[in-house]
Amino acid sequence: MPKITIDNKEYAFEGQPKLLQFCLDHGVELPHFCYHPALSVPANCRQCLVEVGMPVRDRETGEISRNDDGEPIVRWGPKMTTSCSVDMADGMAVRTHRSSELVEQAQRDNLEFLLVNHPLDCPICDQAGHCPLQNQTYKYGPEGSRFEFRKVQKPKKVVLGPRVMLDGERCINCTRCTRFTDEVSKSHQLTIIERGVKNYPMTPPGEVFDDPYSMNVIDICPVGALTSIDFRFRARIWEMSSAPSITVTNAKGANCSYWVRDNLVLRITPRANPHINDYWLPDEDRATYARFNEQRPDGPRIRGDEGLQPADWETAYARASELLGSADGSNILFLGSPHATVEDNYLLCKLAAALGASPPAYIPHVKPGAGDGWLITDDKAPNAEGCRRLGVRPVDPALVRARLEAGEIAALYALEDDPVASGLFQAAEIQDIPVVLHTYHTTNETLAAADVALPAAMVVETVGSYVSEDGHAQRVWPAKAIRGVNRTLRMEMGVSRLDSHGTPFDRWHNAANQVQCKPSWEMLPNIARGLGLEWADASPKEIMREIAQHLGAFEGATYENMGSSGVRLTEIGTLA
Amino acid sequence: MSDFIKHPVVSLPDRAPEPVFSKEELVFTEAEKEQIEAFRAQYPTPESAVMKTFWLAQEKFGFLPPEVIRLAADTLGIPFSLAYGVATFYTQYYKAQKGKYVLDVCTCFSCQLCGGYDMLRYLEEKLDIREGETTEDGLFTIQGAECLGACGTAPMLQVTNGPYVHNLSREKLDALIDALKAGKKPPFVSVTLPQDEDDLGGNRRSDAEATEVGQTPPAAETFE
Repeated sequence: MPKITIDNKEYAFEGQPKLLQFCLDHGVELPHFCYHPALSVPANCRQCLVEVGMPVRDRETGEISRNDDGEPIVRWGPKMTTSCSVDMADGMAVRTHRSSELVEQAQRDNLEFLLVNHPLDCPICDQAGHCPLQNQTYKYGPEGSRFEFRKVQKPKKVVLGPRVMLDGERCINCTRCTRFTDEVSKSHQLTIIERGVKNYPMTPPGEVFDDPYSMNVIDICPVGALTSIDFRFRARIWEMSSAPSITVTNAKGANCSYWVRDNLVLRITPRANPHINDYWLPDEDRATYARFNEQRPDGPRIRGDEGLQPADWETAYARASELLGSADGSNILFLGSPHATVEDNYLLCKLAAALGASPPAYIPHVKPGAGDGWLITDDKAPNAEGCRRLGVRPVDPALVRARLEAGEIAALYALEDDPVASGLFQAAEIQDIPVVLHTYHTTNETLAAADVALPAAMVVETVGSYVSEDGHAQRVWPAKAIRGVNRTLRMEMGVSRLDSHGTPFDRWHNAANQVQCKPSWEMLPNIARGLGLEWADASPKEIMREIAQHLGAFEGATYENMGSSGVRLTEIGTLA
Repeated sequence: MSDFIKHPVVSLPDRAPEPVFSKEELVFTEAEKEQIEAFRAQYPTPESAVMKTFWLAQEKFGFLPPEVIRLAADTLGIPFSLAYGVATFYTQYYKAQKGKYVLDVCTCFSCQLCGGYDMLRYLEEKLDIREGETTEDGLFTIQGAECLGACGTAPMLQVTNGPYVHNLSREKLDALIDALKAGKKPPFVSVTLPQDEDDLGGNRRSDAEATEVGQTPPAAETFE
């Protein structure tokens, strides 16, 4: 296997990796700005300079010449070279700033150049705290500035498009954003205009940067030049904590991080997963964070003489059990949900089976033509494939209608969805039958007919797994706390929020904005026990283990296997 | 450039400008399209032909407002944004209407030392306009230019991206302006080295429209 020597340490490599990527993969940190693993290599920031040499070979024999100690003699390149663009070769020797003063000096000088016209507005810059330029300046840069002239003033607060704002002065012209629009999203909406000290990225005249993936340029911008119009000045990065999760706006299961402060989700950023979304996230996935914060219910409610009234959890469970128990099991309509996790749907299936009802059906949320064949799908719910694999089928509205008219629906149990808003029923039609509803929001139109309304935890508050359209099973971690105590959630929270902000043990812990809701996997066993069934509480991890054991469609889908990047399930069609 | 050092402000271009040319005017003739196709055939990718296409468009339309840049990009089948970036990069592509004759007076280091600014200021006074402005009759635009690569014959200027006028003096500028007003563009001048006069008989080019012997440049009266 070919070998390379970096700072006198030998590494074996395969294929033909670029030197910078190889170093980063092997824990040899090198400062860089313009290089991004998913984009082309322009080598224009000049920050990743290293010294590169090749061993001297005897012209006749082709043997590597060695010195008296048996070490290969290296002929170093006349100048430093950008490691991002160097193809590695057998026997190559590399000196980084760790072993070369020349490289160290070059990196320091280069940063001084980059900072010549960079405004020192870090205290008010959104990027501060997670800014590669800031971090690398602290680490590799000069101690002060020798620049005594007026800095170049470039356009600031330029609205490039509906979601992205430009600060031209902060830009270091790495061209990551223009390369993203040219190579990844292919919208070609950005270009670098002007020249020399005057240049900055811009849309051409008459064009608006409205690319459906436009906000990715904010993530890859190594400085604070491109910021989110929505998130600008909302929070400092160190006040927030983030948890790894997936987006639930559509069925792609794109990996993301939910950023939370004081139990409010403030933004959603992509999390790299080569199997699904690489480094990217569509804008529509990020725009939905407000629904985790707004119009959330405050505790369970029971219908009394004066409409829905607040109740405590025990009373609500008991009422739900009572209503279900009073109906003939086979006449209860169970509705699963592509919004709910696999575990929640599975428990609902079990409950339906125990009561002798037909298996749950789910309400599809497909908008034909909404998808783009990449990260935006037609299906606007995250878990339709998970439902399908559980045997939960799309609901047949004609059949439901026929049963309703025949008086064969004696009760309705709807999991985390809105049958009225989706047009399955009119609220008046189900007014007279008992309706148990797990709901995310107070705007749920089925609440008008609900007899027991149980606030359910959303993806940012629960533990569970989802199966993407492509059959990729992934688990989520809780990003924010809910009111009340759940040991499983609390334990998971300690794992998901490694920074431990927002846990009860740190000074950022804040009880404000905690939603009084519970995950459905906690509510369903309580209701089942009220019906006389012997159900023990189980964590989603245990439930998923059970599912993976018993259902072939979920073979291997345990939490251990899923890890942080998920597991690709076997196609259902190919199962024996 | 000196203005930019004192006031280093980059302004935002008009992001939704009114088009200068109507739809009917914004077309290439068949012959021009053929020419552009020939440019494109010279390179592996159509992007590479953008500069020659711009040149052709600038000769046709006089300057390159956004709609002309878009026309050039569409004709080549390349993204508008890329073409716009290229057009704004090069100062020789005029993004705004200029005078019939654009006088690029070099004020870079060598020319400045030999009187580049003297010449520029003299022109400003003579034509009664400031650097970057156009005369009312639309005949002349004066610009300060960075190095045009003719330091040996400093101070010098270039007429509308075309012929150079070397070894400038006030008298030579007077003559140049008069000639241009009469519609006479200066010829391409080949400047020879003075030391070649004795040994090589001047070593003059036979294909040049005019030749001139190099001379020791003067020293500047003012610097900026």
